[in-house]
Amino acid sequence: MAKARAIVKRRKAVQNIRKITRTMELIATARFKKALDRATEAEAYTRKIAELVADLGSTSLDVSHPLLERREKVKNSLLLVLTSNRGLAGGYNGNVLRVATRVLHDDQTEGIATSLEVAGKRGINYFRFRGTPMDASYTHYEDRPQFDDVEKLADRYIALYINGKIDRLDVAFTRFINSARQEAVVQTLLPMSTASVAQAVASVRQAKPTGAAAPPPTRGERTPYEFLPDAKSILEEIVPVSFKVRLFKCFLDAAVSEQIARMVAMRGATENADDMIKSLTRLYNRARQAQITRELAELIGGAAALE
Amino acid sequence: MSTHDTGDAKKPGDRLQCVVVTPERTLFDEVVEFVALPLFDGELGILPGRAPLIGRLGYGELRTKVHGATKRYFVDGGFAQVRDDVVTVLTNRAVPAAQVDANAASKELELAQARRATTDFELAEKNKAVARARAQLRIGSAR
Repeated sequence: MAKARAIVKRRKAVQNIRKITRTMELIATARFKKALDRATEAEAYTRKIAELVADLGSTSLDVSHPLLERREKVKNSLLLVLTSNRGLAGGYNGNVLRVATRVLHDDQTEGIATSLEVAGKRGINYFRFRGTPMDASYTHYEDRPQFDDVEKLADRYIALYINGKIDRLDVAFTRFINSARQEAVVQTLLPMSTASVAQAVASVRQAKPTGAAAPPPTRGERTPYEFLPDAKSILEEIVPVSFKVRLFKCFLDAAVSEQIARMVAMRGATENADDMIKSLTRLYNRARQAQITRELAELIGGAAALE
Repeated sequence: MSTHDTGDAKKPGDRLQCVVVTPERTLFDEVVEFVALPLFDGELGILPGRAPLIGRLGYGELRTKVHGATKRYFVDGGFAQVRDDVVTVLTNRAVPAAQVDANAASKELELAQARRATTDFELAEKNKAVARARAQLRIGSAR
């Protein structure tokens, strides 16, 4: 009986774990929906900015803004790594940290002084373990990054860049391509290129346009806008806004990707637990049957001996 | 031929649609009769049938009027686009005037004024912060 009972115990443990992973999967699914909705809502803004730039673009695109200036020699750079606060998200954090480490390594070989900023406990623990010094770490960007928080960060980066403290800003995060594909990338946000302003966050999620979407600007017939004050200064004002939005989008993408990664990982774990329960049940049945057979054999043997 | 002010679908000069978009979401999307925008150099009133316009916003008060009822928002910079009787306001933050905290704004103003500015960039930042705090104070206290 001992063996059968041990199997029952084991099966119960697996069933409990399955319950937990299943719940986590459901939670991640709900959070993913919410995060995606937020990201889609935020899309309206980027789309509008892009529309504005397109409307302005006809006049001229030769804006000058300190954020657009490409420095001859990159001496100092800043790497912002976006990871999650919680684990159990499959390869999500590992992938981001791998690309981030590669960039750090490249910078080191090129002799660029890189300051490292990490968001998310997972990344912080990783770099602490490796002994890589961090200049700043954030844990308050949960799965609902707020624009106000991101804006503060963006303002600081803008100031750093304009004051010449950094010559380049990279962000390592997981880009959300679609719900089946996310990849860890390193994106250079500063200096910005005029092209990147023009496309103002090339939208990855063209899918669901929100209700209030304006009709796509028809080419050929231009609306004769009145510019206040003038097209150029508006464009110059758009540059920092565009940067902030791009940074915000990195955060949103990371949040959505995290939930997807967790959802997938937990679904896998649940399925594995299911398989395990099945095979354990089979083992248990066999053990029980073996025991019954043995007892029967003993009974028959005993009866035969009595005769 | 441009599409503005001819209004093939809806009647021209009838109603305005006012859309306020922040980076997080579309905050406000309603049909109104009148919109007052805080442009960078002063207020601009918009009635239905306004010619197309793109403008830079300052810090100030956005007002909309429907059937005599006025809604007021504090707008934190950004841009405005007017086209085909649709007013789109792109801003970092839009707060209903009732929620603007005058006390916090006056503190912010003090902080901003105390800030040291040595370079052009810092000076511009300081001026911005001061203007922003003043606008908030104005809206927050005028209730």
